[in-house]
Amino acid sequence: MPAGHGVRSRTRDLFARPFRKKGYIPLTTYLRTYKIGDFVDIKVNGAVHKGMPHKFYHGRTGKVWNVTKRAIGVEVNKQVGNRIIRKRIHVRVEHVLPSRCTEEFRERKKKNDQLKAEAKSRGEKISTKRQPEGPKPGFMVEGATLETVTPIPYDVVNDLKGGY
Amino acid sequence: MVFVKAQKTKAYFKRFQVKFKRRRAGKTDYRARIRLINQDKNKYNTPKYRFVVRFTNKNIIAQIVSASIAGDMVMAAAYAHELPRYGLEVGLTNYAAAYCTGLLLARRVLKMLEMDEEYQGNVEATGEDFSVEPAESRRPFRALLDVGLLRTTTGNRVFGALKGALDGGLDIPHSEKRFAGFKKDDKQLDAEAHRKYIFGDHVACYMRVSLMDDEPEKYQSHFSAYLKKGLEADDIEEMYKKVHAAIRADPMPVKSTKEPPKEHKRYNLKKLTYEERKAKLVERLNALNAAEPDDEEDDE
Repeated sequence: MPAGHGVRSRTRDLFARPFRKKGYIPLTTYLRTYKIGDFVDIKVNGAVHKGMPHKFYHGRTGKVWNVTKRAIGVEVNKQVGNRIIRKRIHVRVEHVLPSRCTEEFRERKKKNDQLKAEAKSRGEKISTKRQPEGPKPGFMVEGATLETVTPIPYDVVNDLKGGY
Repeated sequence: MVFVKAQKTKAYFKRFQVKFKRRRAGKTDYRARIRLINQDKNKYNTPKYRFVVRFTNKNIIAQIVSASIAGDMVMAAAYAHELPRYGLEVGLTNYAAAYCTGLLLARRVLKMLEMDEEYQGNVEATGEDFSVEPAESRRPFRALLDVGLLRTTTGNRVFGALKGALDGGLDIPHSEKRFAGFKKDDKQLDAEAHRKYIFGDHVACYMRVSLMDDEPEKYQSHFSAYLKKGLEADDIEEMYKKVHAAIRADPMPVKSTKEPPKEHKRYNLKKLTYEERKAKLVERLNALNAAEPDDEEDDE
């Protein structure tokens, strides 16, 4: 009998719970709140069978576009052929984590606002732009000894190993 | 030595998955907890309050709790050991005391939220099923009953506390099926019978039976605390009526005047340092050597 192509095909390991983490899932997943516009990661929890997304979406990150009683609507990019479609799926909260992808951005925004406010109070101009890492500065090599390497003249007798 | 196959091998321990800490302690039923705490996502941060009732051997604890990621937040609590303040000194864990505790908690919460004028609840405690009617301005305070790990049989004291909270003015979804006095045969709540339980009449009846009819000595030993306060079988109902009135008059808790101790009492042994442990070992060996000087001694 050939292998089927059902919705959950080839998910034996993907949807399996990790080692020694079976059973009841910790309650913070139910206590988190999500607002429209938040970024979320989709990570399927095999212990909860309802509201499971398709295996394609496991590991994807998307934006919340809808919030219902027990599930979140997430908008995920999917490449179909030669274009990328923004797909809208509904996923139960057990399969969703808040994403940290914008965390660094939000931190930087806060810090920049603070720096700009300080600079304004001092009356000087600053640039808060990030600069890419430039080339390393020049340096002198320490503790180097000179070793001159010259070729040795070809010696027929020694170089022929074994038979000739 | 008899060869016994080791039951719990190293492999067993390596693969053993521990249950949640509170489950190992046997204190939390996570299946029920998940269903009680889960709030609709489209209600965002609106808290979902639980009316938690727990019984210990000598106390009743009633709390209004909401869950958060940092931990559960207790909004208000009422204990049976506060009831002496309202005039109830004995029988602090019976059905009637549970009713008083539930009533106390309900009035306390409503006073905290300044809803106590609007929602008086059921002032006259009849045993009938009473549900709060929504008033004009604010909707009633809604909580969900959390029994914990109790077996919910008809007439359980936890439903006494539930009735107290309902009569106090809280909105708790319930059914009359488990109140004391519900007859399974006619599928109806006998309000008279329930009222008897609320006013401790079941205790009074037992007092009369063991006093007058059967065993006067048993009465002396069993109800010694009642006798010390001078409570007879007929005084009980009056006493509970007074307690209900006192609770409705002033439900706010009293701050304890005791100072908290400056240093907290240590409940587990302090971890010894390396030098302390070595010193202890030397002491122990010296004691051993001193005790049995005839036997062979190994060097330290």
